[in-house]
Amino acid sequence: MTVLRWLRSGRVLAGLLAVALVLALAVLAPAIAPHDPEAQDLTMTLQPAHLGSAYPLGTDALGRCVLSRLLFGARLALSVAIPGALGAMLLGAALAYAAGYLGGRTDRLIGRAVDAVTLFPPLILILILVFALGAGPTNLVLAIVLVDWTRFCRVLRHEVRVVVQRDHVAAARLLGFSHIRTLAIEVVPATLPLLVTLLALEMGIAVVVEAIVSFLGLGVQPDQAAWGQMIADGRTALHQAPANLLAPAAAILVTVAGFNLLGDGLGRKLAARLVEDRA
Amino acid sequence: MARLAPCGRRLLAIAQRLLAIAQRLLTVLLLLFIVLRVLPADPAAPAAEIGATRQQTSLDEALPMQFAIWLGWLVQGDLGHSSHLDRPVAGLLAEALPATVELAILASSVAVLLGVAGGLVLFALQWGGWQGAGGRGTGGRGTGRRGETRAALAETGTMLLMSIPAFLWALLFILVFGVLLAAMPFTGRLDPGLSRPFITGFLLLDTLLVGDPRAFLSAARHMVLPAVALGIGFAPLVMRVLRASLIEAYQADYILQARLRGLSEEQVLLRHALGHAALPTLGLLRAQCGLLLGAAVLVEVIFAYPGMGRLLVDAMRNTDLSVIQGVVLAYCAVVLSANVLIDGLHLLLNPRPRAR
Amino acid sequence: MSLLVARGLTLEARVEGEIVPVFRGLNFALESGRALGLVGESGAGKSMVGRTIAQLLPPGFAVTHGTMEFDGHDLVAMPPSRRRALLGRDIAFIPQAPQAALNPRRTIGAQLDEHHARLGVRGRRDLREYALAALHSVHLPDPQGLRGRYPHELSAGMCQRVLIAMAFAGRPRLVVADEPTTALDATTQAHIIALIRALQRAQGTAVLFITHDLRLAAGLCDDVAVMYAGDIVETGPAAAVLAAARHPYTRCLQLANPRMTGPRRALYPLPEQMPGLRALARLDGCRFAPRCPIVAEYCLRTDPPLEGTSHRAACIRPGLVPAITVAAEVAPPPWRPAGEAPVLALDGVSKHFVTGGFFRPDRVDAVREVSLRIAPGEFVAVVGVSGSGKSTLGRLVAGLEQPSAGRIVLAGQDVTAGGEAARLHRVTAVQMVFQDPQSALNPRRRVASIITQALEAQSAPGSVREKRARELLAELGLPLELGVRRPGQLSGGERQRVNIARALCAVPRLLVADEITSGLDVSVQAQLLTLLHRLRQDHDFALLFISHDLAAVRHLCDRVLVMHQGAIVEEGPTETVFGWPRHDHTRALLAALPAGA
Repeated sequence: MTVLRWLRSGRVLAGLLAVALVLALAVLAPAIAPHDPEAQDLTMTLQPAHLGSAYPLGTDALGRCVLSRLLFGARLALSVAIPGALGAMLLGAALAYAAGYLGGRTDRLIGRAVDAVTLFPPLILILILVFALGAGPTNLVLAIVLVDWTRFCRVLRHEVRVVVQRDHVAAARLLGFSHIRTLAIEVVPATLPLLVTLLALEMGIAVVVEAIVSFLGLGVQPDQAAWGQMIADGRTALHQAPANLLAPAAAILVTVAGFNLLGDGLGRKLAARLVEDRA
Repeated sequence: MARLAPCGRRLLAIAQRLLAIAQRLLTVLLLLFIVLRVLPADPAAPAAEIGATRQQTSLDEALPMQFAIWLGWLVQGDLGHSSHLDRPVAGLLAEALPATVELAILASSVAVLLGVAGGLVLFALQWGGWQGAGGRGTGGRGTGRRGETRAALAETGTMLLMSIPAFLWALLFILVFGVLLAAMPFTGRLDPGLSRPFITGFLLLDTLLVGDPRAFLSAARHMVLPAVALGIGFAPLVMRVLRASLIEAYQADYILQARLRGLSEEQVLLRHALGHAALPTLGLLRAQCGLLLGAAVLVEVIFAYPGMGRLLVDAMRNTDLSVIQGVVLAYCAVVLSANVLIDGLHLLLNPRPRAR
Repeated sequence: MSLLVARGLTLEARVEGEIVPVFRGLNFALESGRALGLVGESGAGKSMVGRTIAQLLPPGFAVTHGTMEFDGHDLVAMPPSRRRALLGRDIAFIPQAPQAALNPRRTIGAQLDEHHARLGVRGRRDLREYALAALHSVHLPDPQGLRGRYPHELSAGMCQRVLIAMAFAGRPRLVVADEPTTALDATTQAHIIALIRALQRAQGTAVLFITHDLRLAAGLCDDVAVMYAGDIVETGPAAAVLAAARHPYTRCLQLANPRMTGPRRALYPLPEQMPGLRALARLDGCRFAPRCPIVAEYCLRTDPPLEGTSHRAACIRPGLVPAITVAAEVAPPPWRPAGEAPVLALDGVSKHFVTGGFFRPDRVDAVREVSLRIAPGEFVAVVGVSGSGKSTLGRLVAGLEQPSAGRIVLAGQDVTAGGEAARLHRVTAVQMVFQDPQSALNPRRRVASIITQALEAQSAPGSVREKRARELLAELGLPLELGVRRPGQLSGGERQRVNIARALCAVPRLLVADEITSGLDVSVQAQLLTLLHRLRQDHDFALLFISHDLAAVRHLCDRVLVMHQGAIVEEGPTETVFGWPRHDHTRALLAALPAGA
């Protein structure tokens, strides 16, 4: 079926594998983590990675298991990135369709809103929202939604405008379709590839945002396992236990690269479907 | 109405833009006010402390009134007083803002240079040394398939590079060049012991103006790692845009026509194809402005670089509201100025009237 | 010795893994100072001939056999640097799409200077003089001002003149003109052709004129060569070929063209279309055989070579060709009772657009005080040059634009105000067939789904839709299996039919067709016009036919309205208006037609 066809793209395959791996590890973290991520053992601080031992990736400055923290960090990262990206997409896409399809005043109004919000560097706005709303993953998700919807809105609106100019949309209206049905049947499917790509890319971005926020110690509780925080802590332990820094860094890389490849590959495949059907 | 000459038309467009800018600024100020005043974690705070800002005494008034008062102070140049550092915010910004802008400009230059070079190399690799008049079709079929695989690999590589966030690049550079190789300094802006001149706030410029070559070199060396770490994350984007616009340009009819008139491949590339990439690259810079400044925050923190990012993070840790306010405002001002500048450049370079 | 000689030239392309011949064993010769017209429909391979001369082929294309000699030297085997030296100097090109052929970011002057510099002109003063002289030679006004303008500030016709100036600047020995007038208006077309002819005569240049229009080629050129599916099927002096074709394809092509004079006879309906690139590889024998009216057993097995002396044809039965005719006249329109209420009534309808920024609004009057009536079942045409407002008029009637003034009454109901009631009434009253099938058909839907969209809007059950889809496909002469395909897999002609089918499904009383035959091949256009005639007999609908093609209009429509700058300047029965034009603009339009139309 169509799903199998998508898998023929190397990018999609690689991206899907990476994301699926991280997702699986995140979901299964409570079951497979060797230790409680917050359990401290002050006798075993800064142990280097040793695969066969009780602490396969070593321990940090407070004797906590790096591997366990890594797994729970994945859990946190995805539980912020996935809802955040989805929320930003829903808000941004809804406004983009409204602006692109209705045009005129609606378009100008939404355009002004986008312009205003994008005057703030996105990360800065997220930081002060987190500051204002308080720490915690829910607030971070909210901040991401409130800031990143503009990214979806801007790009999508342009695409929607292009599609709306096409005659088959006018033809649908002439044949008696209501605005909603015309939008759903003629406009939305054409923009689906772009939407999917943007969603995957946004998830990658959200993972990085979460890492930055926890690196700065602003978004999460101090003891919670978060990749960014692990990196911040691991900087000082580089000589004794390099895994403290390298593991979360690699985790971020794999996750973000996975989302990017997936998004890029899927977008191409979905868009190529149009061209394949040509003679 | 009478038709205006192209020159007059452009001036009018600028006037329209200025009006739009004023509108946006107002909206931004409103948004900022709402975020910082209306949201929960608000200044129920240290009103009694030394250096309590005058703004906090107006809390009794209605919100719209507070906004108007605040605007009034801003217009007078009063950005408040830092409760934590016990200095006027405007003074703090006068030091931090140019530092961040200097870093951002250098990083952008790095991104553009690397991106353009990389993009050209990539383009050449894929198309086998510019698609041109081949002999008996050897330029045709052969590179078609091979070129595609090379292109796919290059694109995947670019994608992977793009997936590395700036702060990881920063840490990597410090590790390799700062610690392991000990080749570059990675903290602060100047070697200890050198005095810091302050005229414009742009350190590189100031050291030149004062005529202190040692300080200039030191400042330059300190900026290498942060600028490259920040810029290298954006270079792949520039590469992509360049490659995409070159591909688009080469498919255009006028390129074929130029070849049919007998121009050599180099002439076609330099005079006709590359020009097509200028505007999209400019558009990219405009879009990435905010992201660059955001990434700079972490780079500043990691390199202990005294810019607005570090100022902001410290202020958030210390709940120093006036500084937060001032810094965010400054960020918006920088983004706005950059937008205006780039839009102006766009207008100058673009002979076509604005598309409807 | 001939200036340009092609001997056994074969061009192959790699299309999706297969090697396909684009043209094979091509032989033709062009003498110095003479003009040769290379005529063929789209897909015949003629455009590739031009690119083969320059050896600037798209990736995947390669010359595998034969030679293309210019002045005795084989262009194909020549080292690239020598060949490049010829381009622009001895061999020049005139492109098809003038505005796209100039760099949009550089001024006209800059591009002229670049070309002149390549030809050896040095120094700013000399360059300026050469530029002014070049612009003057092609009769462009205000050469000084033009130098500083950008291509998008010029009309297509003016851009084409600039390109012609550049082509003839180096006093070339050969000029290759690839469909130079296809993108232009009829009136501009005539001027450009005259310009090329004048410059050719003045400089004694040889011209290779590539076109799809046989009459145009015959009007300009000394000799013509007709191409079909990659072969030259007939070649000879233009007058001879036109008067007495010796290949069935040439004859059918002539018969498929609607004429401006003489009785309104039916157009020759060549079945199907020319085989595409991939099908070519699998054909044995004469490539025209599947569609040939005088095909014989022998033709299916062997490919006949060009036979004859000066007027040659690749057919074994050239004697039978003159017998190919179309006997029937166009059927008269079906009888209607008198005194019926008009299906469309426009009274003083105007439409203006406001463009430009906030401070200096610019008003464009697209349609000015148009009044017209269309009776039920009547076929009415609107003609005019681009920018005359005819497209806007069509959109007003269809309801895609709201009039700024005036009244529109459609099938008895006043729909001027717009609004939901008007829109619903419109669905069964008027439908539109759009010009660009690429944009008019949703590429993600299947054909069967597209043509029954009207039923989908009424939420009709799937079985009803399937049945109707089958009916429509049969009516429009489309094979049933087309129903499951997507628009991207269809040819241009098939897509237009799907367009029409979709509009008919709603059973409208008025059909608005906006330039539905432009850009189509002659034979495909003939199929479409014949189809419309047949549909007229079987269905009850009026047609508002917007077009710039006067011959098609004459063939199809009872009445014609001539539009100029937004207003109707002349109207009446087609024969009357075309036979005895009263307005200057109508006369100009008729005068621009190529001779022998």
